[in-house]
Amino acid sequence: MVTVTAAFLTLLASFGVFVVGYYALINVGYLLLHVLALFELREKVRESRWNPPFRRFATPFYPGIGIVVPAYNEEATIVESVRSMLSLNYPEVEVVVVNDGSTDGTLARLAEAFDLEAVDAEIPFDVPAEEIHDVYRSRTYGGLVVLDKENGGKSDALNAGIWLTDMPLFCAVDADTIIDRDALLELARPFLQEPTTAVAAGGVIRVANGCRIEDGIVTDVSLPKTGLPGLQVMEYLRAFYSGRLGLNRVNGLILISGAFGLFRTEAVREIGGYRHDTITEDFDIVVRLHKYMTEQGREYTVDFVPEPVAWTEVPRKRRTLSRQRRRWYRGMVETIVTNRKMLFNPRYGRVGTGVLPFFVAAEALGPLIEGVGYVVIPVAWYFGALNLEFAAMFFLLTTGFGVFLSWFGVFSEVWSFNRYDSPWQVLRLLWYGVLENFGYRQWKTIVAWRGLLEYLGGVESWGVMERSGFSEDE
Amino acid sequence: MAGVVGAFGYEVPLIVLLVALALVIGLLAVVSFHITISWSIYRSIVDDRRNRVRDGTREELLERLFVDDPGWEAWINELSSTERTVAESLLEEFLRELDGEDRTTLQGLGVALGLTDRARRRLEDGGEFERLDALTWLTLLGDPDPYLESEFEPKTPRERAAAVTLLSETDALEDTQEGVSILLADIEGQFTVFGQDTLYRVSLSDPAPLLSTARTEYRNWNEPLLAQVLAVCARLETSVGEEDLSWLTRALETQNEAIRAAAARALGSFGWRESVRDQAFLRRAVADPSPRVRGAVYEMLGAWGDRAALSVLLYALVSETHPRALERGTATLVEHRDRIDPETPAVLGDAWEWSLEHAEYDALARRGSKRVYS
Repeated sequence: MVTVTAAFLTLLASFGVFVVGYYALINVGYLLLHVLALFELREKVRESRWNPPFRRFATPFYPGIGIVVPAYNEEATIVESVRSMLSLNYPEVEVVVVNDGSTDGTLARLAEAFDLEAVDAEIPFDVPAEEIHDVYRSRTYGGLVVLDKENGGKSDALNAGIWLTDMPLFCAVDADTIIDRDALLELARPFLQEPTTAVAAGGVIRVANGCRIEDGIVTDVSLPKTGLPGLQVMEYLRAFYSGRLGLNRVNGLILISGAFGLFRTEAVREIGGYRHDTITEDFDIVVRLHKYMTEQGREYTVDFVPEPVAWTEVPRKRRTLSRQRRRWYRGMVETIVTNRKMLFNPRYGRVGTGVLPFFVAAEALGPLIEGVGYVVIPVAWYFGALNLEFAAMFFLLTTGFGVFLSWFGVFSEVWSFNRYDSPWQVLRLLWYGVLENFGYRQWKTIVAWRGLLEYLGGVESWGVMERSGFSEDE
Repeated sequence: MAGVVGAFGYEVPLIVLLVALALVIGLLAVVSFHITISWSIYRSIVDDRRNRVRDGTREELLERLFVDDPGWEAWINELSSTERTVAESLLEEFLRELDGEDRTTLQGLGVALGLTDRARRRLEDGGEFERLDALTWLTLLGDPDPYLESEFEPKTPRERAAAVTLLSETDALEDTQEGVSILLADIEGQFTVFGQDTLYRVSLSDPAPLLSTARTEYRNWNEPLLAQVLAVCARLETSVGEEDLSWLTRALETQNEAIRAAAARALGSFGWRESVRDQAFLRRAVADPSPRVRGAVYEMLGAWGDRAALSVLLYALVSETHPRALERGTATLVEHRDRIDPETPAVLGDAWEWSLEHAEYDALARRGSKRVYS
């Protein structure tokens, strides 16, 4: 019995040492990423503040962009969204709306608003998607194509749109995403500067809750009035202005948000489009592009451009947020498992040897280990194996460092594009950076564990987002 | 917590290490908090001040713009530093929009604000973005002298483009050859869209210097730069006299399919010349292994647009096996449907019908009239 107890206590002690070492490594990684992000941001800000003496809109070199909008039961917002996308400042835009088997009046609203007619001719090539019933063209808007197809999910709808667009680039957006008027001009820049190598570029997603929106344009940027969306503003800032910028610095960007990304159409067609059997198609497509391009021995770039902004509504209720995050977690695990041969594989360059392993350690395993830690601490205390002073100190250190990294993200925002221009709002953001460590962070470890269990149990559902709409007061 | 940590022969109590770490993290957090909030307050105050004087300054500026003697010097001397900053930003906004006499009058305000002198200093001593800012202001002010008098030589693609734009906008560019030389001589890296646009505008009226430079230098350029130059060539659509275009046909046989596709599009704008229409070359081009390149070759043939070219295109499409390349070809052919036998395209099947119907909708949307296709 003594031996069992001793072994158990040794196990607890070993776990403690492992956790301390693990978090030290992860946090050093994060710090490095944030510092890289700061250098990258400095360069991007200087670049964006120089306004060259020419008329951007008049230049003939911007490649055409097909904006692919998957729509499932979006009758309330689809017409306004499409109008907003058709009026973006970009020389050549084609909006491809894919009605993914909606059961409401999405198609009827579109047909009425844009004077649609079904095209008689058969599609002359195979489209790797569910059956397309009809392709519609507008009698008044040359840049609008609407597909009506059998329901097949978001990836399926995106594939249908990608195969139907004639444009060399396509922009994947959510139907309820609001894109800044000049955002496409900015987002297309990597494709002009690296015409032979750029395959994808991602912009920044910001939280629309709390902002004033008029005629499909964000006219006043404010923080949400309630805590949960506010905490997500903090998370989004940290993710985009620190994480992705830092990864961009080492050409290791592995995630472009599904709500706003620009891709070379041909490259995505080459890899077979979006996978149908994934629920985080945005993560999966970028990892597969890295994998494919490296395997083909082709030079390529995936870029992050920090100023083009798209706005999205984030969940206001804990239940909805939990569902969203569990889905993200399941998708992340699934993508990592699918592409596991890239891990620690020098053949895949920095992505294989550095970025992906770090991502797995920090984003996939990190919350799980943290969750276990919250269970082990009381157990160790019960068995008298817990050094309370050390545990408290460790918690304070990791929390303090987390707060510092969050504040670093806020600093990046204030120093660069400063969309939250009131110091009171900045103060609130800084407060969210503290608040998220008490309750929210711990709750996210439970969500991660639930996500993992759902993945292991084969759950594949998307869940319902339950959006309240941009105009509704919170 | 009595543990110790040892390294390099030294032993440090764990508590000391943790406290030191806590102090460092605490210090970092405090510093980042203060910098963030201080910077936010500073920007808020500055923005607020500028916003308060903006309307008044704009009104005064516009009033002075429309009188015979605006008296910029006297006005600037009366302004606070905030008002001057606002005047500078308004000036930039107006100079980018206005032409003619109003622009000339406004350029006097730039001189009164000391922007020419500042540009001169920045050209001599500034970093890249300061030099770019200087060149931009000189362009807006229509004054190339500080640049011409300085020892500054543009190095980066951005600087080259800004310098050529300055010279070109102020009629100080000796000829197109000078512009092309500044832009492309011994260049490293590639252009931004501004640089590509500058190369295009400077070559628009006389493409010969660009084509001549490309002929001798294209092998030394990196692929992105070559693709950019080819994209510029594709837009020139003008007479090139007897310029040697063999480099373009050679570019069509490089390894990189993006380059081959860009070369095909560039040839589209020069294809009226018999020397480019060599049958053996065309046979190789339409048989390119890449459907993307074949699609671009079909566009090239469509751009040539005469009966001989359309005949080659039609012949190639009949044996085209890749549906996407076929669709690109039929979309091109549809644009010239009045020049081909109406019965012939039937062999192209669904792709032809598809392209034809979409072309009709495009035309309908452009005209804003009723549908004509049935």
